[in-house]
This record gives sequence, C-alpha cells and structure tokens, in this order.
Amino acid sequence: MSLLTVEDVHTYYGKSHILEGVSLAVDRGEVVALVGRNGVGKTTTLRTIIQLSPPRSGRVTFDGRDLTGLDTHAVAQAGIGWIPEDRRIFDQLTVEENLRVALPPSTTIADGLSVAYETFPDLQEHQNRNGGDLSGGQQQMLAVARGLIGDNELLLIDEPSEGLAPLIVKRVSKALARAAKESTVLLVEQNLGLALDLADRFYVLDTGQIVDSGTTAGLSADSERFRRYVLA
Amino acid sequence: MIDQFVLVYADALGSFFTPEALFGVLIDGLAKASLYVMIASGLTLVFGLMGVLNFAHGSLTMFGAYLGGLVLVMTAGGSPTDPAALGGFFLGVVVVFGALGLLGGLLEWGLIRPIYDRPPLYQILLTFGLALILDEIARIVVMFYGIQPISSWQAALATKPAILGRTYDLGPTSVPGLDLFQIGFGLLTIGFIWAFLTQTRYGLYVRAGSQDAEMARALGIDVRRVFTVIFALGTGLAGVAGMLLAWDQSWGASVPLAAETLLPAFVVVIIGGLGTVRGTVVASVLVGMVDAMTTWWFNEAITFTGLPEMFLFLILVIVLAIKPQGFYGISEVGGH
Repeated sequence: MSLLTVEDVHTYYGKSHILEGVSLAVDRGEVVALVGRNGVGKTTTLRTIIQLSPPRSGRVTFDGRDLTGLDTHAVAQAGIGWIPEDRRIFDQLTVEENLRVALPPSTTIADGLSVAYETFPDLQEHQNRNGGDLSGGQQQMLAVARGLIGDNELLLIDEPSEGLAPLIVKRVSKALARAAKESTVLLVEQNLGLALDLADRFYVLDTGQIVDSGTTAGLSADSERFRRYVLA
Repeated sequence: MIDQFVLVYADALGSFFTPEALFGVLIDGLAKASLYVMIASGLTLVFGLMGVLNFAHGSLTMFGAYLGGLVLVMTAGGSPTDPAALGGFFLGVVVVFGALGLLGGLLEWGLIRPIYDRPPLYQILLTFGLALILDEIARIVVMFYGIQPISSWQAALATKPAILGRTYDLGPTSVPGLDLFQIGFGLLTIGFIWAFLTQTRYGLYVRAGSQDAEMARALGIDVRRVFTVIFALGTGLAGVAGMLLAWDQSWGASVPLAAETLLPAFVVVIIGGLGTVRGTVVASVLVGMVDAMTTWWFNEAITFTGLPEMFLFLILVIVLAIKPQGFYGISEVGGH
C-alpha cells in the first residue's frame, strides 16, 4: 500500500478549475518528482494534499487514513511536512524561534535545533536574528531546516532551488538528499537536473492533469520525454 | 484681565517646577499609565494577533468591574480589614479573569469565528451590537438589585482597604497608596503578557499564527484554538482592568464605565500602533504622563476640569498627523 495516494482530485480557485482529476501515489521511502511548466497546478497539488486548498471532489489518503476535509493542522500532525516555494518564514520571529515552532512537542528543543544547525551551520550563526532580516538563501535554508526537524514521515517540497545562487542550491540539494534518505518526499522542482538526481520516479503535470509518469533511471534533463510538457 | 492671567500662570509655573509637584505628577502619570495599559492590553492583543477590532472590550471591562466588585463586597463588605480586602481583591482577579476569559472564549467560538472570512465591517458591527447587549444586561441586573447604574457602585468602592486609602511619604511628596498599587499591578500585567508571549511554547504559536496563519497550520498548530485562547486572554485582561477600577474614585463600577474605558483604550492602541503590545505600553506612559500633567495644570492653575480629556484626543490627532501608523504600527495585522 502506498504511503500517499491522491485519487481523481479536482481542485478549484473560485471558478477556475485547477486540478482536473489528478491521481498519483508515493510509496514509503520513495522520492517522487512532480514536474511541469509554470502554472500547470504543481503547487496546487501540494496544497490540496495538505488541505490548504481542499479538493471539491476526489480523495487524499495518507498511511491508509482519509485526509480529505481535515483541517491542515491535523494533516501536519499526521506526519506530513510542507516546505513552500515562497519560504513563508515568520519574519518577526528569530531563526531559533522559527525552528522551535516546527518542533513537535515530543522532540526536545536541543535535539531539534542541533539537527537544523548541523545541516546548515549558517543558521546557528544567525540564530538570534529575525527571519525577515536573512538573505534569500538563508531563508531557504531555514525553510528546509524547518521541514527537516518536524519529524515528518512525508515531506512535500515545493521549488527548493528557485531563485537561489548556485552555491546555495548545492547546499540545499545536499540537505534534501539527506532528507530523502530519512523520509518519503514528493518534490516539485523546475530544475529538472536536480529533480532527476533526487527522485526515484516522476510525474509530469500539464494543465491540471497527469500526462506522463515513470522511473527516473536512465533519464536525463534533456530527455525526449520532458521535451513536450516540461521543457517547451 | 490679561495681567491677572499672566500672574496666575507665572505663579503656577513656579509651583509646577518644584520637586514635590514634578514627583507627584510623575507618580500620578505612572498610575494612570498602568490603568491605560490594563485597559488597552487586551484590546491590542486581540487586534494585533487576530485582526479583530473588539468594540465590546469596554463592556467586558465594565462586567469585570461589577463582577470583581461583587467578590469584594462578598468577601470584604461591611467594615473591611486590610487582609480581607486584599485577599478579596486577588480572589476577585482569579474569578474575573476566569469568568471573563470563559465568556470571551465562548463569544469567539460562537459569534466571531464564523465571520472571520467576512470583511472587517462585520466584526465591527457584531462587537458593537454585542457591546449594546452587554451594557443593557448590566443595566437591568444592577437595577434589579437596587444599584444605581450610572454612578459608581459605592459598596464596592467602600471595600478599598485602608492601606490603599492613605498616603505614603515617598521622596519629596506624599503618594496615594492606590496609585502605588495600580503601578505595581500594571507592571505585573505587562510582565505576565511578555512572559506568556515570549517564554512559553503557546506564546510562540500565538506569534507565529498571527504572522502567517496558513504556514502555522501547515506546521501542525491549531490556529483556531490559538485565536480562541487569545480572545479569552484579551477579555480576561479587560475584566481584571475593570476590577482594578472598582476601587478608583474617579472610575468605579458603573454601566457608563464601558464607554469611558473604550475611548481611552482605542486612543492608546492607535497611538502605540494598532496591535503592538510594546506600542501600547509606550503610548500608555505618554498618555498617562500628559493626562497627569494636564490634570495638575487644569486643577491647580486654570480651573477647567474637562480639559485634560480633550488633551488625550489632541495627542491622538498630533500623533496621527505625524505618524499615521502610530509609534510601532505595522502595515498588516491578524493572521486568520
């Protein structure tokens, strides 16, 4: 049985029909990439899974439990973490507070923070600075660290490399590779090379529908399979 | 005529700049600031963290004054001894905070939560209507028990312990005991709010939820429950502020206390910057000091007792003209 199953999901923003019957599955321990051009519904798929944009029809199940209609905090408590594309750092909280807010009550603060600081030593240097005062790269590290320390069984990661300098992308990728070893990941990523490096399988989304899927083995970023729906 | 005015003014100026007068004004200002902090802190918490402008805040303060007064009369009525009155006061604080907090929690859950997604006008109309209902309920209940609703409840005022009724030599002047009590209680309240918001896990959830409710929910925080707790805390603080006023001769428990406290609370919250606790503290000190100074001037030099209140609104106009967002105002508040 898959850890996450999305079945024939239809999601709307007002009258706009964004997801038109999306179905996908992620098995325990897998890294699955969801790729596609801008505006085809990748972010909406992640938001639908965590019920921030609840589907009008269809079903989302996690570890056999139906998540459809649950409040987002209950979905998060079930073990699903979200690293959003726009980072969503709490600007007026310090780096340390941003991390502490993500710690489950069962995790000691010291243990949680040490994982974050070990992954991104930069964050420890700035632990008393407000999140809003960090650079874009530091904010992305903080967003990823916040996702990693949440004791989540499944991580939904949205465009982690977007707008970052190559050096920061390298460090974030390293952290994601580590996360991929420890938990199951559904990754939305425009950088096909990075997505294929990390993922075991992929789905291609186009105008709210899954149009292709398969394993990443032997595929490269300029593969013919991505030419029509991703690279065009 | 003008010569006479100049003489009176020069004489008053001489009296004002004496250590006795300046110290007296300082203590009076701090006592007033403490009251303003108490009155406004619940309002600013609810607005700053939830974006709800609660027009029923003054009515909840008035409810707190009556409920606290009732506890005082029951525990220390008749001929109060100092321990009985002070014990009654702290028991009253617990009762009022609990009862008003519970009432606030129920109001948020039952009435305000369903309209979070509507425009702010709905919240304003709802809380304004709620204020009218609460005021009318209070009027009916106190009249039923033969208490005059528009003047201070004398039985509650009479429970003030002697220890707070006398004056104490402090520095160059004598200071009323109640002023010192109010200053101490105001500091305690600020410390309590600060400790709750910065030193507790729940306080951290509150600050996160007020900045970005969606992200906080995605991290597993039940933001709705957080908002209920904040509203309960805000109304509990409003009630305790009312309890503190029940002993103060210039306020006292009465139905008009609702409007009398709501206006200065809004002035303080707007001057400090909507929704910031730090701004509320700074604005309370400023307004308290100006209030104390103008009270001294218009009592001692120019007898015109209505003018100090006008100065309160004058400060508001000046601050808004220079800094429309207030001292520490932020562009957007509330996270729901």
